[in-house]
Amino acid sequence: MPGATRLRAEPVTLVAAGAVTPLGADLDAFWSGLVTGSDGISAIERFPVADLRVRRAGEIKKLRPLPSVRQPACRATHLLLAAAEDLLARAAITAEPARIAVVVGTALGGVEQLERALAPEGRPRHAAAAFYDTPTHALARRVDARGPVVTVSTACAAGATALGAAADLLRADLADVVVAGGYDALCRFVLRGFDALRSLTRDRVRPFDRRRNGLLLGEAAALVLMTRDGWSEGPTLGRLLGHASASDAAHIAAPDQNGRGLELAVRSAIDEAGLIPDDVDFVSAHGTGTPLNDRIEADVLKRTLGPRVQTIPVNSIKAGLGHTMGAGATLEAIMCLLAAREGVVPHTLGLEEPDPACDLDHVMGSPRAVHPRISLSTSLGFGGCNAALVLEGIEA
Amino acid sequence: MVGTAVERVAVLTGWGDGLGALPENAARAAAGRPVIPIPRPDLGGDRFRRATRECLLGIAAVDALLRDGGMSREAIRGTSTALIYATGGAYGASNAAFIAGSSSRVAVGDTRETRHGSSWAGALNFPYTAPSAMAGEVAIEFGLTGQYGILIGGAVAAIDALWQATRLLAGGRCARALVLAVETFEECEPLYARGRWLVRRPLVEAAACALLVPGARSARYDVPREPAALETLARVRAGETFACAPLIALALARNGGTMEPISVTGEWRGRRAGLHWE
Repeated sequence: MPGATRLRAEPVTLVAAGAVTPLGADLDAFWSGLVTGSDGISAIERFPVADLRVRRAGEIKKLRPLPSVRQPACRATHLLLAAAEDLLARAAITAEPARIAVVVGTALGGVEQLERALAPEGRPRHAAAAFYDTPTHALARRVDARGPVVTVSTACAAGATALGAAADLLRADLADVVVAGGYDALCRFVLRGFDALRSLTRDRVRPFDRRRNGLLLGEAAALVLMTRDGWSEGPTLGRLLGHASASDAAHIAAPDQNGRGLELAVRSAIDEAGLIPDDVDFVSAHGTGTPLNDRIEADVLKRTLGPRVQTIPVNSIKAGLGHTMGAGATLEAIMCLLAAREGVVPHTLGLEEPDPACDLDHVMGSPRAVHPRISLSTSLGFGGCNAALVLEGIEA
Repeated sequence: MVGTAVERVAVLTGWGDGLGALPENAARAAAGRPVIPIPRPDLGGDRFRRATRECLLGIAAVDALLRDGGMSREAIRGTSTALIYATGGAYGASNAAFIAGSSSRVAVGDTRETRHGSSWAGALNFPYTAPSAMAGEVAIEFGLTGQYGILIGGAVAAIDALWQATRLLAGGRCARALVLAVETFEECEPLYARGRWLVRRPLVEAAACALLVPGARSARYDVPREPAALETLARVRAGETFACAPLIALALARNGGTMEPISVTGEWRGRRAGLHWE
């Protein structure tokens, strides 16, 4: 709401994170894979793709069994619970169950189960699992959450929207702890959809490169443990200072040509954080590697951050993971905080010849030694969804 | 922080337009029919030729809200209006249709390129499988470029959506908020039949939209064990409408002249949430 007087939002703390990605089975593998430039893209093996133009993606080849008697039949649920196990190995949840909330973002939910449910031999449990919020409820059971259990589905911005919604629950004192994040599993449904849209590249993903011609999909789950500032003792990852969303109201499957929704989201998130554009030290771009997305993002960053944008490091981590949809923005938020802690920003894989239309300070070729205290993370999704997060990292 | 008020609510259901169309007892009125459908709204314009029925129902609900309140579209256009959409399963029909369309594709192992008709049909339909397409179409139609949210999870999601709207208003992040819920069941009726322990009957298709504005009352969210009287009333009158139920409850409260203080609750998959204007 431009021109309106808004209240600076109370920051919330991100205590710890857990993840399962094409780079490995936990957060450590995710981070080491980013800084070493590992490529998680491979031939899809889990389901038939022979009839598709593009048969590669960021597929997780080995998914650890969960420490429970019965493994979930739904891969999306398995991914989300695997990320939860990683998170719980790093941080204990000490709140009362009634004060634990869960907020999860997804673009696809358990849609693969719908394919099974629609088959002639489909079983009732497949039909129940086809609801997009089924994996969220499985996570709520795993962490014994009796507080609010929320599923957001703002397409590929869902992982950012979830963190924003979680922050609001904490600020309103509806929970002491929120397990928040995003996930999505690769399945034939989504591969076929993006394949039909001709959004997938047969080359490698090249964010902001002049040769970029499409994205590749990936699967992942990422979760963070969030609390109000001061509630948690011990080391933390950092803080979420601001979040905002804005709708393009332009096109169902393509971003607004002028990036107006993204621009409003970025400006509003910085405003909510109580900061000004000059405070931003690093930008984690959505950076899908599609011609339109990257050009729009570059334009928006130039407009919102001003001339200083030429000296603010920018990266995209989608080339090595694939576009992990609902998990993407949460992974990128975690990456921002780990970059601050470790003093290194991972480079953008696939970016070799920057597009002059995307003239930003790209981190390319190798990681860059820098401690970004304030990070801006941007996300866009189907339906004209845009979201931005402003995060504060902690130097180790 | 400012309080909020529910300025008006529009309700469309399989029983007809508005609260006046609701029977006294939905179960009796259904007479054994598992689903009470709403026909596809007849919205003119080439833009809607690919839009799904749930998209059109969402647009029709916002149109009904504006019409009932004597408001112009210009009154909600722009960045000052937030849009928060809630549903339990309105995406199911488009998802199922997309899967059915893909099942006739080239057999596995055939490596031919797929530059043929069915592929392009997928390109046209796939974006509409996302729940965000519904909110996107509504945003495009009414020029809504403010904050937004899309929540999945039946009546609890609608309670969460109402609560988020109050937060956005209280924080000055919007001047008004539309909370929109849409549910369709007809295309997925066989699936609901298989999962019948999850849902009550009759399943009544519905679209409902509430307009929230700054007001005098503060809203309190909780996780109650028992349903509020309005939750029960909405179910008796309308039937099972998933995310639309709390909005129908709000409409019933307004219709009965007991707008404030008011308590609405909703249940979904064994969890209940409530919102209370005090």
